Amino acid sequence: MTEHTGVEIRLDHVTKRYPGQEAPAVDDVSMTLPAGRITVFVGPSGCGKTTTMKMINRLIEPTSGTITMGGEDVLSMDPDKLRRRIGYAIQQAGLFPHLTVAQNIGVVPGLLGWDKSRVADRVREMLDLVGLDDDFAGRFPRSLSGGQQQRVGVARALAADPPVLLMDEPFGAVDPITRGNLQDELLNLQSELGKTIVFVTHDFDEAVKLGDRIAVLGPRSRVLQYDTPEAILANPADDTVAGFVGAGASLKQLTLLRVRDVEVDRDSAVTASAVDSVADLRTRMTGRGAQWALVLDRRNRPSRWVHARDLAAATSLAAVGKPVGDSVSLKSTLQDALEAILTEGGNAVVTGSRGEYLGTIGLETVTAVIARLRDEHAEVES
Amino acid sequence: MTAAVRAKASRADRLRLVGQPVAVLLLVGGVLLWAATRDLDSIEKVNLAPPKIVRDTWDHLVISVVVTALVVVVAVPLGIAVTRRWARWAAPIVLGVATVGQAAPSVGVLVLFFLWTEWEGLWAAVLPIALYSLLPVLRNTVVGIRGVDPALVEAGRGIGMSAGAVLRRIELPLAVPLILAGLRTSLVLAVGTATLAAFVNGGGLGLLIDTGYKLNRSTVLITGAVLAVGLALLVDWLGALAERSLGPKGLR
Amino acid sequence: MSLWEFIAQRWDRLLPEAALHASAVIQCTAIAAVAGVALGVAVYRSPTGSALATALTSAILTVPSFALLGLLIPVLGLGVPPTVVALVLYALLPIVRNTIVGLAGVDPAITDAARGIGMNRLRVLTRVELRLAWPAILAGIRVSTQLLMGIAAIAAYAKGPGLGTEIFSGLARAGSANATNQALAGTIGIVVLALVVDGLYVLVARLTVSRGIRD
Repeated sequence: MTEHTGVEIRLDHVTKRYPGQEAPAVDDVSMTLPAGRITVFVGPSGCGKTTTMKMINRLIEPTSGTITMGGEDVLSMDPDKLRRRIGYAIQQAGLFPHLTVAQNIGVVPGLLGWDKSRVADRVREMLDLVGLDDDFAGRFPRSLSGGQQQRVGVARALAADPPVLLMDEPFGAVDPITRGNLQDELLNLQSELGKTIVFVTHDFDEAVKLGDRIAVLGPRSRVLQYDTPEAILANPADDTVAGFVGAGASLKQLTLLRVRDVEVDRDSAVTASAVDSVADLRTRMTGRGAQWALVLDRRNRPSRWVHARDLAAATSLAAVGKPVGDSVSLKSTLQDALEAILTEGGNAVVTGSRGEYLGTIGLETVTAVIARLRDEHAEVES
Repeated sequence: MTAAVRAKASRADRLRLVGQPVAVLLLVGGVLLWAATRDLDSIEKVNLAPPKIVRDTWDHLVISVVVTALVVVVAVPLGIAVTRRWARWAAPIVLGVATVGQAAPSVGVLVLFFLWTEWEGLWAAVLPIALYSLLPVLRNTVVGIRGVDPALVEAGRGIGMSAGAVLRRIELPLAVPLILAGLRTSLVLAVGTATLAAFVNGGGLGLLIDTGYKLNRSTVLITGAVLAVGLALLVDWLGALAERSLGPKGLR
Repeated sequence: MSLWEFIAQRWDRLLPEAALHASAVIQCTAIAAVAGVALGVAVYRSPTGSALATALTSAILTVPSFALLGLLIPVLGLGVPPTVVALVLYALLPIVRNTIVGLAGVDPAITDAARGIGMNRLRVLTRVELRLAWPAILAGIRVSTQLLMGIAAIAAYAKGPGLGTEIFSGLARAGSANATNQALAGTIGIVVLALVVDGLYVLVARLTVSRGIRD
């Protein structure tokens, strides 16, 4: 991980009590969230994890206790100014439907009084950061897909370069494949930015995948276990946590391992550029005895799988074969890789942070890892 | 409409259901008491004599009721007709004409009808007012029937109902709440516009207002106006009661 | 004399009356819009307040305009004052109701996001909530304007300005040569004004409603 810009957040005996309710919604929570790391609050719905998070940017005021951010007492700051220093991304993005994508991203810099050209530059920069083209700038949220809206939501949260980012189930409303991609992208971003991220979810798999630290919360936001994902998976603190972690802990550890942790086969596939000649590719494929070849686009990104028989009648490589479906990045978990392999029905393509082709990963690599994990697990349990 | 918005609307409705009759009683009782305890000159005495007030009120009610009956008899069948397959092309024309008609000032319609026909009295007031009050019922009938889920109509046909049976047993009952709401609007419009009937010698409470104004007798003017307000609020309240009790139970 | 000859002959009188009619309606709608939106903003968070404001303004709308005018004459005299008060009162309901409905319809997630990124209450209201409620509010204002076009005609009874004057003077001269033409000119003039102003609202909506929330 690179040098981080985040700051440490400390919650000290924080309690939230709503008038007219016997039990506090959040009861005496103390926790230190390390600077520049992702801390995930995970727990069943209604356990108070969102309430706990919202006390950090004071959308909900604590009844008692103290919260500090980089050593500064949050409760003595002006709440609006405080929030401009904390990025905030929520489920379904919460984008302003009457503003364009660019205006949405530029809201916080605008509130901070940046001049117009600086805001415009920043908007372009943020769009690039979350992988959206410039022409998204003038579009309105309702014309975007759920995943694109989430990306804009993250871009808006990061626009003023806040040291802290609060994310409340930000990927809760998108389909599983998009969610996986967004999670990968968040991890990529985080390795560049090093923010202190507080991430709320009720999905334990998501917590394991994203968290540097996981706080498993019970009723009234009681901290049941606060540790690294590895430690929680290996050693659940009690039955409640164990129940939440669920069965198949060794399979779940596939979500802890990244594609970068295993061998990526860098020259398993024959590759060609879309402008290469068909005859040339055919020669190379015959030379390697390969049935399939991968066509890359101008920016070296994988675009199509071409079978040898497709080439017989083809005059150019621009439109033959079938499009590449799921691809995985170095940051993807092995579980994602497994899913991609199964849906592609062969090796899954591995891409770098800008979408460029790096190599492929095959089923045998993943099964080898599963076998190794199962052995290790059996040793621990015996 | 979100649940929160609907909750707010129904709360306002309940408030009026309770508050309105109380307001009517206070207004009408108050103004009658006030008029009765004042020193009245002979003109005021003639115009505020109890039989005169009762007759003006009665005339006003008759105009409103006849208008409403006419509106129901004309607008509901017309609305149904233009939602039928064979007359669907006429819907935009009918609605367009009705909308433009609604943009005409009520007083203008009334005066023009009087000048053209040279009629006076009840029908000189009823016909133009009915014409003018037609639109809300017409529009709500069309919108209500069109708003019925096509799947329900199909289901009705599917189990062997004739087109008439589908209309009678599915489309109309589901459109009733909207039709009733339109009727209530029409009724209130009719009671309000009936105050103008005095201009064409149609009687009603507008007569007291007009007389009071022309003869410079504020007591008569105020009494007539307050009674007209009371009557409008009362009729609107009765309309609200009818809306609540006549709508299909499953939709409430 | 045909209607057209009549209109041509009285053009110099009809035109200023039409202008007065339109300006009275538009100015009163503007006053009611400011007051109505303010009232809506003041009450929309409180269920009781919303219910009270809606019930009260809808009761006002029930009051026959001729009766309200009658009640205002002894208090305010004749001419502009009773006209303005009556028109503003009648314009309130659609605006207040639509403001409340529009504001209540704003997705709480969006206001939560607005607060979360550091907008204060006033900013959330002016830059998010009112912008999102604006199509509903504008629709209310449009309904109010249409309503006032007709009511302003009745206000001519209390010597209010506008085309209603023609209608009442046609009525007063029933039987004389140009009575019908006069009433007709007044009535048609108001219909034309109403349709023109309604068209303007479509234009205003295109100019002021963000493309992101337009239907």
